Amino acid sequence: MESFGEAEGEMNDLIFGLIYSSISLATPILLVSIAELIVEKGGILNLSIEGSMLIGAFSSFIIAYYTNNLLYASIAAALSGLLLCLLFAFLTITLALDQMVTGISLNLLALGVTSYLYRASFGWYVSPIPPRIERTIATFEIPILSRIPIVGELIFNHIPHTYVAFIMVFAFWLLLKTDLGLKIKAIGEDPEIAETLGVNVNALRYFLLFMEGIIAGISGSLLSTAYYNMFLDNMTSGRGYVAIALIILARWNPLLLFPTVYFFNFIDALQLRIQAIGLAWFPYQFSLMLPYLFTILALFIMGRKVRGPSSLAKPYRRLR
Amino acid sequence: MLVNYLLLTRFLLILTVIGSAFIIGAVIIALCGGNALLAFYWLFHGAFTPMLIPETLIRATPLLLISEGLVVAFSARMWNIGAEGQFYIGGVSAAIFCVVFKYVMLPLQPIALLFAGLSGALWALAPSILKVRYGINEIITTLMLNYIAIYFVSYLLQGPFRDPISMFPETESIPTHLQIPVVVSGTRLHLGVVFSFLVIVPIIYYFLERTNYGLKIKILGANPKAAQYSKIHSGRVMIQSMLISGFLAGLAGGIEVLAVQHKMRLELSPSYCQYGYTGIAIALLSYLNPILTAFISIFIGGLINGSMTMHRMASIPVGMANIIQSLIMVFILIGYYVEDKLSWRVLERLKGK
Repeated sequence: MESFGEAEGEMNDLIFGLIYSSISLATPILLVSIAELIVEKGGILNLSIEGSMLIGAFSSFIIAYYTNNLLYASIAAALSGLLLCLLFAFLTITLALDQMVTGISLNLLALGVTSYLYRASFGWYVSPIPPRIERTIATFEIPILSRIPIVGELIFNHIPHTYVAFIMVFAFWLLLKTDLGLKIKAIGEDPEIAETLGVNVNALRYFLLFMEGIIAGISGSLLSTAYYNMFLDNMTSGRGYVAIALIILARWNPLLLFPTVYFFNFIDALQLRIQAIGLAWFPYQFSLMLPYLFTILALFIMGRKVRGPSSLAKPYRRLR
Repeated sequence: MLVNYLLLTRFLLILTVIGSAFIIGAVIIALCGGNALLAFYWLFHGAFTPMLIPETLIRATPLLLISEGLVVAFSARMWNIGAEGQFYIGGVSAAIFCVVFKYVMLPLQPIALLFAGLSGALWALAPSILKVRYGINEIITTLMLNYIAIYFVSYLLQGPFRDPISMFPETESIPTHLQIPVVVSGTRLHLGVVFSFLVIVPIIYYFLERTNYGLKIKILGANPKAAQYSKIHSGRVMIQSMLISGFLAGLAGGIEVLAVQHKMRLELSPSYCQYGYTGIAIALLSYLNPILTAFISIFIGGLINGSMTMHRMASIPVGMANIIQSLIMVFILIGYYVEDKLSWRVLERLKGK
């Protein structure tokens, strides 16, 4: 009887850990997907968030490694993410180039620059034990709320970014209902008409991408300075693209991002757990595949014929 | 006259683009405390010394095949980012084919390569159907499939098809009679190089520029609405262009396995310069022109080999090739814009006369 109770306790711990880690791992994707959602509402499809995240992860790691100051690291991440995003904005807004092609190229640029600079700083023959930073971003217990028995430990004991992301989703949901939100939706649906009604399309789009660059950089920095304490080549491994897929699944509705993002991360946490348990009949490569398979499958089931903003990813040339 | 002028500006633009990418690369090297001139001397030495040209061509072959396929897909505006996965799937299926039929003493290479190509095409089938039938963005699905492909290959190499003798996760070596033979003795230059440059390039050129079907692809890419009016089955054309692209990427993997590596390994495409993604750069840099693609593949192939020499002789990280490539891509995008402006100006001047 006692052993049965123990097994039950273990099971509970397992489920608790699973839910806790899916909430905690979701933060970068939640941050970046809410920012990208607003940008897409404004008619820009920014694939280069993947690159912004990667550069953010790299620069925050480097700064944290040399200064051991996580605040500087976050600032560096924000600035470098912003830099790439502004380059994207220049190419797609000012020069009105194809957004998808530009996004892909900038991602390759980010991949090249980070892997080059990583080796330039630590040498080509990266030792089997990669360089690590000493401190990572600590979790922050919200004083009273975290005392609530199970829920408190689950929800109110995370890194600060998790709470910010949570609040931001609601904030952006409200933002879309304001005057500014209306303008954003207008430039995403029909920039020509918005322009004739007196909205400065390009300036507003620059503003949106400015915000997104900072958020994407910081969300990337979480990978190298909060969850891990090191940098790996192509560390983001498609998370930016996943975020874009999740936005389609959420049908461009900020509040629907919660179920999609958390369900995706539940799958991700589950596969990590499966790997850790080491099931003999289930090769670890298959569990690594799960999140990607899930994304495709979810797009197939729920992403059909979903209508996004009408002018999404269409280059807009201002009439003169 | 007008066409010549446009070609000239395009040519000059490509030179400017490559030049400026190198200048920025030099700045980065200098900032990291290296000697840029010395580095680039070794880069070009390693790439284009007569003795090393066969190696450059060998390196260029998978790039060429992948980017020729991408030229077809991109012409139909199917943004296939999944060449990396298709390349791996092609490579592993060629290797598995050879391991299964290793005791059949027949020259089965063509069938192995066909098998590799078909499995690459199969890997590209799902995203293209999802795109055409359900309107699901192919960039996301093909990219997801890259990760899935590489994990799948990793499973095959560590599980059922692992060489029991080897220390590394790789398949058995392919027996000599199933390898692609070397053409010029004393080098590693193999028949696959000759085949790719002298057969595949003309075929793709003829296909895209001289056939009805190629015209359909181009109309579809330039203006989907016009394609609809001219009764082109756009869905079918899009799927087929993606399948061609997947086929060529798979073929590239097969040739790489049968002729160069002689086994399937996880590092089939080097981590500092993944062929599938490099192919995207080449296809875009060539303005989707199949002939230009051949030259640019050789150039980039040289860049990759040269950056190894540069690494050995001037200790600059190999990733420099990657940086220069991606800079080239960004500049080529700006080049599209400049060219657009320039050609308008030329047209207006001609009208004025």
